Amino acid sequence: MFDNLTLARIPDGDDDLRQLARKLAAEAVAEMPLDRRARSWSGFDADFSRKLGAAGLLGLTLPKQYGGGERGPFARFVVVEELLAAGAPVAAHWIADRQSAPLILNYGTEAQREFYLPRICRGEALFCIGMSEPGSGSDLASVRTRAERTASGWRVNGQKIWTSNSLASDYMIALVRTSGTSEDRHKGLSQLIVDLKTPGVTIRPIEDLAGDAHFSEVFFEDVELPLDALIGEEGQGWQQVTAELAFERSGPERIYSSVVLLDGWLAHLRAVGRSDDATAALVGSMIARMAALRAMSIACTARLAAGESPVVEASLVKDLGTAFEQDLPLAIADDLASHPEEPVSDELRRTLEYITLVAPSFSLRGGTREILRGIIARGMGLR
Amino acid sequence: METNELLEPFERMLAKLFPPSRVREIDSSAEWQDELAEVEASGFLDILAPEANGGAGLPFSAAIALFAALGRHAAPLGIGRAMLERAGYGEAHSANSELVMLSAMMAGAGDRLLAMTTAYANERVQFGKPIGRQQAVQQNLAVMAEHCVAVRLTVELAGDGSGPPDGLRAALAKSVASTAVPLIANIAHSVHGAIGISAEYDLQLFTRRLHAWRAEQGSESRHHRSLGKSLLAGDAKSVDWLRAEIFDEIA
Repeated sequence: MFDNLTLARIPDGDDDLRQLARKLAAEAVAEMPLDRRARSWSGFDADFSRKLGAAGLLGLTLPKQYGGGERGPFARFVVVEELLAAGAPVAAHWIADRQSAPLILNYGTEAQREFYLPRICRGEALFCIGMSEPGSGSDLASVRTRAERTASGWRVNGQKIWTSNSLASDYMIALVRTSGTSEDRHKGLSQLIVDLKTPGVTIRPIEDLAGDAHFSEVFFEDVELPLDALIGEEGQGWQQVTAELAFERSGPERIYSSVVLLDGWLAHLRAVGRSDDATAALVGSMIARMAALRAMSIACTARLAAGESPVVEASLVKDLGTAFEQDLPLAIADDLASHPEEPVSDELRRTLEYITLVAPSFSLRGGTREILRGIIARGMGLR
Repeated sequence: METNELLEPFERMLAKLFPPSRVREIDSSAEWQDELAEVEASGFLDILAPEANGGAGLPFSAAIALFAALGRHAAPLGIGRAMLERAGYGEAHSANSELVMLSAMMAGAGDRLLAMTTAYANERVQFGKPIGRQQAVQQNLAVMAEHCVAVRLTVELAGDGSGPPDGLRAALAKSVASTAVPLIANIAHSVHGAIGISAEYDLQLFTRRLHAWRAEQGSESRHHRSLGKSLLAGDAKSVDWLRAEIFDEIA
């Protein structure tokens, strides 16, 4: 089963990008304590994102005519792997680079591509995702935010929630209902690019359990958008959002959310000189899972590179990957607490505490564990 | 030669020589020289042997799919061992290739269990519908599939190359395969219910083997230990270590 997911290798030729990403990431995190590096995904640093853009490390999968690198999904894999391994602050360009840009490239008009893509590649146009609503989490097709046609464009009313980095973003790509009702499910949904500075848009940050405020509620009250806010076809929002999620779910980011903590723990073990059998077995069990996941993620990237949309395969990687990311802090907490005689740095403790608190979100963001397993089951011919 | 060109006739032969009834007899200590003679005559035992010795001299990676086929058909371990012996890899390399061979057989047995279990879930009706429509069952089968794919890809990674695998990659393959055994076997049994416990139903041929092969040449903790010792001995970060030692990306 899933025989199309076979061993693939990162092709030679992207090593220049890896070295460059490594250097810029190392500079960006040089002064950062471990617990800030562990925030990589939610670490917002627009200057750093622009620096990556200037170095040609954003929009790697996009054609050169739009300012992209035209290097393909493996180049992006290599760069993202280096950024996350270092714990670099990637939040500012994260969504635009990963999914908004491919979406605009695939479904946008020529004018939309020319307007947005070059700025995304420079790290200057920051995007957020408008999917979840108060009443629409896993059941995404039930969204109630509505856009009605007006003489000059669209009028949007409704609310999004859990929108990461919306306060600092320029645009949101929102999934909205343009016809019918919630009962029509997948029909009548469309995607709109919302300029977040448009009058009628109100953004209210939500503090998370770790004290950060990276996500928000976004309210739309008679927000007037131009006609060309529509991305892709009216009524095709569900199909588009499904393709977008394949990009969201298949990258190396679904393995490395806890990697900064893992490396911090390894440094601790080396510093205190502990490598007895039990410790080595625990370390080995973690690195073995990471190795298997990396092989799976590279195999998935090969499907993307072949022009496929590996929705089911990406779900396999993400579900297994987030389980690994979530087990890491639990295992490390147990290991450290079982060796009370060892001095543990405050930095490592804070990192562990942070990852422990936010780890449940790993299997929520981008599709919950249960939803992914449902997708896999359908891919297996069940139901 | 393409692996697929080898695989198809090999699978056909295994299906003919080792039907479940025969597998049961061999499991009860029946001799299988006749089958071995037929496998010998097919030439498959010599695929890894050097050409100078009259073998096909194929790269180790070409044998991975065949080892998996052995597992998928519950064929005797001795066939795979004979292939490795004739490869003439030398002592240390033989141990590593045996680990990867076992892991590949576990991947094959796991795939067979996944196919059997998925098919059964679509057939077995309870509460007026196939149990495969129950979300609880679907979720378990999805997890089983994830682990089967993880085992298969790790085996492909460990076996990738012309020569025999090195120690770390062999340890990786065997540890990932052994770790997955309880989960794969347990879900296969839980979905099958009581029928899977009966001797006459074929499920046990494969779950029995998975448990035996999990322990053969060391189960997961032993191989995790090797991986962990190696990682802790240096100063590389996790991703760099993986790229250098497992993925062969850094010269």
